[in-house]
Amino acid sequence: MSGAGMVEARIELPAGAVVAAPEKRRMPAKGAALWAVVVFLCVTPFLLVLTISFGQKIEGAGWEWAMTLENYQRVFVGASWPDEVTFLYLQKLYYSLYYAVIASVLAVLTAFPFTYLMTRLSRRAQARWLVFILASLSLSEVFIVMGWDVLLSNRSGLPMVFKATGLTDWLKAVGWFDILREWGLANPRNVKFKTSEFATILTMTYLVWPYAVILLYPPLSRLDHSMVEAARTMGAGPWKVMSTVILPSVRLPLVGAILLLFVFLLGTYVAVTVFAEPAKQTMAVSVYDAVRGNTLNAPFGAAQAMVLLATAAVFLSLGHVLSRRAEAGA
Amino acid sequence: MSGLFLRNIRKDFGTVRAVEGIDLAFAEGELTALLGPSGCGKTTLLRMIAGLEEPTGGTIMLGERDISRLPAHKRRFGMVFQNFALFPHLSVRENVAYSLVIAGVARGEAAAEADRLLDLVQLGSFGDRRIGELSGGQRQRVAIARALAQKPEVFLLDEPMSALDAKLREDMQVELRMLQQRLGITTIVVTHDQREAMTMADKIVVMSDGHVEQVGPPHEIYHQPKNAFVADFIGKANFFDGRVEGGQVRVGKTLLSVTPPAKFTNGSAVRIACRPEKPYLDSADAEGTRLQARITFVRDVGPVRDIHLETDIGPMVVEYALGETDRAFRLGDTTQVTLPPAALHVFPEPPEGAAA
Repeated sequence: MSGAGMVEARIELPAGAVVAAPEKRRMPAKGAALWAVVVFLCVTPFLLVLTISFGQKIEGAGWEWAMTLENYQRVFVGASWPDEVTFLYLQKLYYSLYYAVIASVLAVLTAFPFTYLMTRLSRRAQARWLVFILASLSLSEVFIVMGWDVLLSNRSGLPMVFKATGLTDWLKAVGWFDILREWGLANPRNVKFKTSEFATILTMTYLVWPYAVILLYPPLSRLDHSMVEAARTMGAGPWKVMSTVILPSVRLPLVGAILLLFVFLLGTYVAVTVFAEPAKQTMAVSVYDAVRGNTLNAPFGAAQAMVLLATAAVFLSLGHVLSRRAEAGA
Repeated sequence: MSGLFLRNIRKDFGTVRAVEGIDLAFAEGELTALLGPSGCGKTTLLRMIAGLEEPTGGTIMLGERDISRLPAHKRRFGMVFQNFALFPHLSVRENVAYSLVIAGVARGEAAAEADRLLDLVQLGSFGDRRIGELSGGQRQRVAIARALAQKPEVFLLDEPMSALDAKLREDMQVELRMLQQRLGITTIVVTHDQREAMTMADKIVVMSDGHVEQVGPPHEIYHQPKNAFVADFIGKANFFDGRVEGGQVRVGKTLLSVTPPAKFTNGSAVRIACRPEKPYLDSADAEGTRLQARITFVRDVGPVRDIHLETDIGPMVVEYALGETDRAFRLGDTTQVTLPPAALHVFPEPPEGAAA
């Protein structure tokens, strides 16, 4: 889990800085102390993992300090390079990105219309929905995955419902069953959702959906509704209003929400271990396997965690550059 | 088109009736002001005309055409919003060209038309600016140009001056009126500012509590108010409560003569309104009821002087314009005030708790 942990620590850093800044102006000593705590909490684990990633595994024991790039080499081109090149771990990184991109985009796209309609409700109704959404955040990843695990399982979940209601037979009759089989969502007898990319992405989307609503709520509730009305009096129908007024007004928060959820999802562990096929596991899972699992190779796990962290950093700074450019244009 | 007509327009919000059975005609090319205190239903009425609010009952006719159920984007009446509602993600030119672009006009043509309109509102060189770089007055001009771009049949403005400071407001009122006269476009302005309405409008509709109190040209509304509410809301007025006695009105011990004689039965309670510029002070040849008065306060604001008096029938204010008299009025002086009969408007006494 250290991959996920590192990514989160990285995100928390600016938040800590924001809290510390005004303190510092008022009371320098107190501010400095607060800074020290923040720096210690954020930088120490990061430096530790960075150092370990250049270390060396001792067979049958732990690891020792070294200044080797072997672990990174193994991540990028495989252990037996230059004799043989394998991209096993880059493939895991690819799946990390693949699931996280699709799930974060899906979550924001589906949360957007919901949140927009929510902001059009009465103040009272909005408050109720927000409380409900916030409450749903208390569900842990394990709990949510367990729920979906049961719901999608072959013997007690949706596939049984499909079979019992005759939906499976109907799918076979109209020929869509074969398409599902091609997509890996059916075995010869019935539909199956586990294990599949579909189940993995669905659960990951579900996991971050409340966050998407909470991220989109402030910009959408601040949206000046008279702009919408002005557009209507100028001949814009509902879709034109959406595409020419609402979406352009909130495009920065939209991109920001997708980026944040994407980085968050890079560290998903439970959902991937439960729902993804063994060949399509992610780097976060691989990190955990190396550090705590059967291979017990902390330096290699640390190197993978650093690569995952660097990937997240690249995407975040890319987003930052894009929003800067958009703002300069706006 | 030939005018806009409202017939028995009603609007309920839940159990609250915001607008009650309004019949109005807006003649082509005329500027009408909907005037009233906040919460009187004037903005709701304007929004129903724009199509942003659906009437609970009644019909809206544009010439011969019933547009009551036509959505806002099919009516395409240009509207200027109270906060201007400009699009911050578009440039000034793109804002003005918005209605043309979404109607499918070629971009180059739309931009040229936008520039022409920006010239019209004296913002010719501002096309490339962002909305955030404009002052309040400039934003209002952009909002006006944007609303006019689609050549609307009816031009609507919701409290267009309320976001501007006092000096700019007066300039813009004159400017907007001149622009409207030049374009000859049917225009409806919502305002709570009677000076604004008097400055701009061909016709004023005074509203209160969801219904129309009086409709007429500004001078008629001012000089012949139909009831105590209108007399109080438009301009300033002194009010006296009394009872009718043989065509005259008794207020306390004094009998006031009025023309035309009060057409109420003897003994009925009435309220008299008198504009402050109508009475005379110490004028031997003025006709009317003469009262002893004592000066309690003098307010000199330059162009006019307000002289506050205590009289037998109650306190009143008399206003003298600069140059009208060279008399000095001093606090505590006693004087004589003459109320010309034609200056006294007699209304039935409004029910308890009503405005005015």
